[in-house]
Amino acid sequence: MPLKIYIINKQIMTNPQIEIQLIAVVVAIACAIPGVFLVLRKMALISDAISHSILPGIVIGFFITQDLNSPLLILLAAFTGVITVVLVEMIQKTGLVKEDTAIGLVFPALFSIGVILIAKNANDVHLDVDAVLLGELAFAPFDRLLISGMDMGPQSLWVMGVILLITLGLLFLFFKELKVSTFDTGLSSALGFSPLILHYGLMSVSSVTVVGAFDAVGAILVVALMIAPAATAYLLTSDLKKMLLLSVGFGVFSAIAGYWLAHLLDASISGSMTTVLGIVFLLVYLFAPSKGLLSVLYRQKQQRIEVSLITFLLHLNNHQEENERHVNHLNEHINWQKVRSKSVLELAQKNNMIGIENNIVSLTDKGREFTNLALEYIITNKDEKIEHMKEDFFLFRG
Amino acid sequence: MSLSEYFELLFTDYTLRTITLGTAVLGAICGMLGSFAVLRKQSLLGDAISHAALPGIAIAFLITGTKDANVLLLGALVSGLIGTFWIRGMTTKTHLKSDTALGLVLSLFFGFGMLLLTFIQKQPNANQAGLDKYLFGQAATLVEKDVQLMVIVTGVCLFVLLLFWKEFKMLLFDADYTMTLGFNTKFIDILITFFIVLAIVLGLQTVGVVLMSAMLLAPAAAARQWTNSLGIMVFLAAIFGAFSGVLGTAISASQNNLSTGPVIVLVAAVFVLVSFIFSPGRGLLFRELRFRRNRRDLQLKKTLQFMYGIAKTHENISHPHAIRILNNFQGFTKTSLRALEEKEWIELDKQLWSMTDKGFDAAQDLYNQQANND
Repeated sequence: MPLKIYIINKQIMTNPQIEIQLIAVVVAIACAIPGVFLVLRKMALISDAISHSILPGIVIGFFITQDLNSPLLILLAAFTGVITVVLVEMIQKTGLVKEDTAIGLVFPALFSIGVILIAKNANDVHLDVDAVLLGELAFAPFDRLLISGMDMGPQSLWVMGVILLITLGLLFLFFKELKVSTFDTGLSSALGFSPLILHYGLMSVSSVTVVGAFDAVGAILVVALMIAPAATAYLLTSDLKKMLLLSVGFGVFSAIAGYWLAHLLDASISGSMTTVLGIVFLLVYLFAPSKGLLSVLYRQKQQRIEVSLITFLLHLNNHQEENERHVNHLNEHINWQKVRSKSVLELAQKNNMIGIENNIVSLTDKGREFTNLALEYIITNKDEKIEHMKEDFFLFRG
Repeated sequence: MSLSEYFELLFTDYTLRTITLGTAVLGAICGMLGSFAVLRKQSLLGDAISHAALPGIAIAFLITGTKDANVLLLGALVSGLIGTFWIRGMTTKTHLKSDTALGLVLSLFFGFGMLLLTFIQKQPNANQAGLDKYLFGQAATLVEKDVQLMVIVTGVCLFVLLLFWKEFKMLLFDADYTMTLGFNTKFIDILITFFIVLAIVLGLQTVGVVLMSAMLLAPAAAARQWTNSLGIMVFLAAIFGAFSGVLGTAISASQNNLSTGPVIVLVAAVFVLVSFIFSPGRGLLFRELRFRRNRRDLQLKKTLQFMYGIAKTHENISHPHAIRILNNFQGFTKTSLRALEEKEWIELDKQLWSMTDKGFDAAQDLYNQQANND
């Protein structure tokens, strides 16, 4: 693991600091865009497979070019990424194993070949597995792009910038096609957009992005930058454009916040970028309105009580005799816990659905009307109806 | 290094013996539990868990300050389990799919682990070196104590597997039925998941984070091709895993600069490849052969059917016809006619063919499913 960390001038933001953040932001955006489509197409793990299996491509490319940032190496390594996808699909097509097993078989094998290639040529290759897997953003500004002796800025910024521009260009050109083929493959082929070409196009873009980014943030953390912003955004919206914007936003935020966290702890920049992504995801996972964990749990509890309420009202509707409608009878007959029957009773009373006289429960007119509608719902079984009913009748929800 | 030299070294050299034994045991337990992971469609769980174990190792080191393998593995186990249950929580409680959940846990935990590892490296106490062997695995660092631990875990695992065999098997193939029979499916599920995580954590030191998933999957995927019985599959997977370990260690010991983990994975990959191609029931080779045989058989029967169409218009079915009149029908060749003759369905006489009684009956029964299935 690289021990040296760039020694940072404490007083002002130095030039390398700005450059590092710029690279981090560009990498984050370039990763977030294909990431959204990978998550939506349920292929998130392909990014993991690609990020590992490009290793032999990088090694062979390095033998040829001797330069980690050369475009030829990036293309060669990206080609290995596409080969991975093809191999996975080939194995899957034989039907001998499931898709996830196919992924799990292909990339460790390719990765192993890469590791062995490096180990066997350790003397000629200034490339170690650590660097490929983990990357080190702090070193990125040292690799300058020199054009006829002029310093044009860090090389990786140029590489990732070009990749980002290509990705954005393709996104704007093929947005409609990507959208259709992501959500409805059948429709997309019926309209004449080949899902196959779009699929391999997306895979190629992802591969190129992964290869371009591994140098800065490392192969595994590329996966985080691809999946986490998209998944976080997916918990907040179901609109593709908003999802793209949000995930770009999360990516940029984590890039900058992660950099300063790393600065604070004097630790790996890519590691802390991922940690920030993780914290952001965790917060959204817990607190997202309507799709977050807490609101899902709350809704489940609400629905449980409301279902009990409907059961209870139906029970009252069925029985005219008083002993069936006695408060104490509830516990034994419907077999509810005491707390539950109490909360159901309270809810029903709050909503004016029942009246209690001498411990005898009876339906009010409103309660009767609701029960009849509920019965109709149970017979027709149309889901959207019950929510409308609840909105119409409930003053207080469960 | 010749084979006899290798065997001599195996018995005399402490390190080689320990590593060989260790990788063999590891391969066996991974194969055993990997079979369940593969059949439960949790193949990539291994990948996610092995990455998710990293922060556990770092935190265990931060808290205790020791590099005792058992303490670190305990940390790895805890964070691996947290990862597993978070994956499950994500897929059941939100609309994120399992691939996204796996990818998230894998990369986020690993990134956090990296942050901690680099943080630890900056700490003043100097005994932190060597934590990164869990990243890439160094079989060479295995000592007898590690192997003992592996053997104990394998023993416990085998015992539990045999004890709950019926339950595991049922849960695997029909979870709903298991629940209706009154088994505590949640408990069985957690038990098997726990052991899978345990096996992954054990393997980290030997083959490392990245290659651990292959250790879990490859032997099981290979074993799956040879059998349809769970017991035999688990047994075969254990054998394949152990052999990959032993062979991989031998190959990497025979050359310089060849790390053990990747070689083991490649050996396991060869096992998978061979199984994919050569397994008699499902293998690609035999499937292709069967496919060709069926196609030839179909051609033959089509020819016979055509001949039957001609022959039945004649009073004497054995009335000879010129081969020429078959020309309208493209499906025959000299060999296929000879094959028909061998089956005694037709008789050939130079340019003439005539149908036999046997051939007539066979053609009549051609569309009778009952007769064909017998």
